[in-house]
Amino acid sequence: MEKEELFRQIADAVVEMEEDTVEELAQQSLEDGIDAYETIDSGLAKGMERAGQLFDEEEYFVPELLMCSDAMNVGIDVLKPHLKSENVSKKGKVVIGVVEGDTHDIGKNLVRLMMETGGFEVLDLGRDIPPAEFVSKAEEYGADIIGIATLMTTTMPGMKEVVDILADKGIRDKFKVIVGGGPISPAFAKKIGADGYARNAADAVKVAEKLLSNTDLALGA
Amino acid sequence: MDVLSPKERLLRSLKGEAVERAPVICPGGMMNSAIVDVMKNHGNVLPDGHRDSKIMADLALDVQADTGFENVGIPFCMTVEAEALGSDIDFGTLKCEPKIAKEIFPSVKDVIYKEDDALVKSDRAGTVFQAIYNAAGHSPDIPVIGSITGPLSTAASVVDPMNFLKELRKVKDESHRFVDYVTNQLIGYAQHMVDNGASVISIADPTATGEILGPKMFGDYAVVYINKLVDAIHEMGVPVIVHICGRMQAVTQHIANLHADAISVDALVSLKKLKEEYPHLTTMGNLSTFLLEFGETPNIQRSTEQLIQDEINILAPACGLSTSTPLQNIQTFTGVAKAV
Ligand code: B12
Repeated sequence: MEKEELFRQIADAVVEMEEDTVEELAQQSLEDGIDAYETIDSGLAKGMERAGQLFDEEEYFVPELLMCSDAMNVGIDVLKPHLKSENVSKKGKVVIGVVEGDTHDIGKNLVRLMMETGGFEVLDLGRDIPPAEFVSKAEEYGADIIGIATLMTTTMPGMKEVVDILADKGIRDKFKVIVGGGPISPAFAKKIGADGYARNAADAVKVAEKLLSNTDLALGA
Repeated sequence: MDVLSPKERLLRSLKGEAVERAPVICPGGMMNSAIVDVMKNHGNVLPDGHRDSKIMADLALDVQADTGFENVGIPFCMTVEAEALGSDIDFGTLKCEPKIAKEIFPSVKDVIYKEDDALVKSDRAGTVFQAIYNAAGHSPDIPVIGSITGPLSTAASVVDPMNFLKELRKVKDESHRFVDYVTNQLIGYAQHMVDNGASVISIADPTATGEILGPKMFGDYAVVYINKLVDAIHEMGVPVIVHICGRMQAVTQHIANLHADAISVDALVSLKKLKEEYPHLTTMGNLSTFLLEFGETPNIQRSTEQLIQDEINILAPACGLSTSTPLQNIQTFTGVAKAV
């Protein structure tokens, strides 16, 4: 099979949530001597990107998006042992979590998923996370980006606290801060001094890429 | 002039019978109305009230008296059900509602099934039943609404939500078995609420929104199990309110299939349009939660008047209240509603 055709079929199988097909095709790519990184990037990740678009268009919903992600991971498990180490360099490191007092984490988990698919290394702090912990974990992990989520108006001030703690410690410039979740607006992000905002998981990846590629604010995205 | 008692008015509204004006209520549970202002006024506070039936009943009565809502709503959170089925709870603070600290099972395949009366026999449920009993005895003209976390939200508070949502598609048989088990627990819970004096049951199932589940899973699971629960409560002779969160386009076609006596919706949904589309629906809602927290008095007045003009059958906050909502804003809402 043509390489491009194989990639297309792999992407389709991810979109169709067909784990077995993904596994077979990933095996075949190895037998055909195709570079594992290329298969991940042009096959699996492409499929996941399309799944993200379908989610954005309300063709797919949370269960479907998660199934696509599982199918992608089956493929990655097959291919990972064959990655050449020079390929594994990542786009950047992200710590992400939901602010203290809030346990709504479905949206944050989707953002993590799309970030990972998009080539970021992600440390997921979980939910109900005190502001100081975002900062200490980001320092420990050597993060480039701190992602903060909340779905409740009552917990929004926790986001500002994270930014304030960074400023107080004199390390604000070491990290890009992006925020998101139901009640968050670009205006709010700007007001608390965050660097970026995204309305959904697919955009979050774009905003993160933009922030790391140049220093312009990504609040308009 | 009011002719009917608040209880008669609500029960008649839920039956679709004529009333002199729409009732204005807030059911409790997800739509908790125990705001900080009321707790500070009277000293009956959360989180203590989540585990103490006297505080729970007194606080519910304080809320009713201060806000002007025409019901008592019990309990004040969505964690009673999940705790009884094994999950760890963090009771939160005065300002912040309790939350699930950790769902006990990673997957529907790991669930350890308890006896069908595990929820009913739990300490937390006992507190709720006693509080309902106390509140119902206190003022017979005010309806006590027993609030229940819906089958899917309870299920996704017992099994890790990310796995759960996926397994609805992936591991169908086990998912159905599990959600059915949860539903049976909830039926017992509702029965005891009714036996202790609840005159209406309200079910809120935020995880079962169209935005999260999509139309297929909403039809296959949410409609099936919410209806099973509603049918069982109807057999107890009690009406049921069902609240659906979020934008609804994805699932509007299913709404008419719910057996509820009233459908309560989020602020984003036009109840007027919904009424036009399904004239037989008894509608409830939907003054924006955000407006109630941050809005100016004239805006709250105007939005309330709009709901009345649109002939919404039962007036209520769209999706509950933030605990920081100013009492005065709620009083504006209930005041305008009652002035009709
Ligand atoms: C599902 C749900 C629940 C579930 C949560 C399950 C879980 N594990 O997450 C359960 C049933 C447990 C729940 C509980 C409660 N809930 Co609730 N819940 C919802 C609901 C209906 C949907 C949220 C959701 O998952 N949406 C789907 C996801 C995919 O969308 P999303 O989160 O917006 O994420 C997308 C974007 O925002 C963005 N994004 C998200 N995070 C991030 C992060 C970054 C960095 C970036 C860049 C982008 C980004 O990308 C995501 C994917 O595209 C919302 C209403 C709503 N329509 O939003 C209420 C809502 C959030 N809940 C609310 C409330 C009040 C509660 C409770 C307090 C109820 C109570 N009275 O006890 C408790 C919370 C307890 C606590 N302290 O945490 C209120 C909050 C009100 C407020 N104060 O602002 C809401 C808004 C409902 C309402 N209108 O009143 N809830």
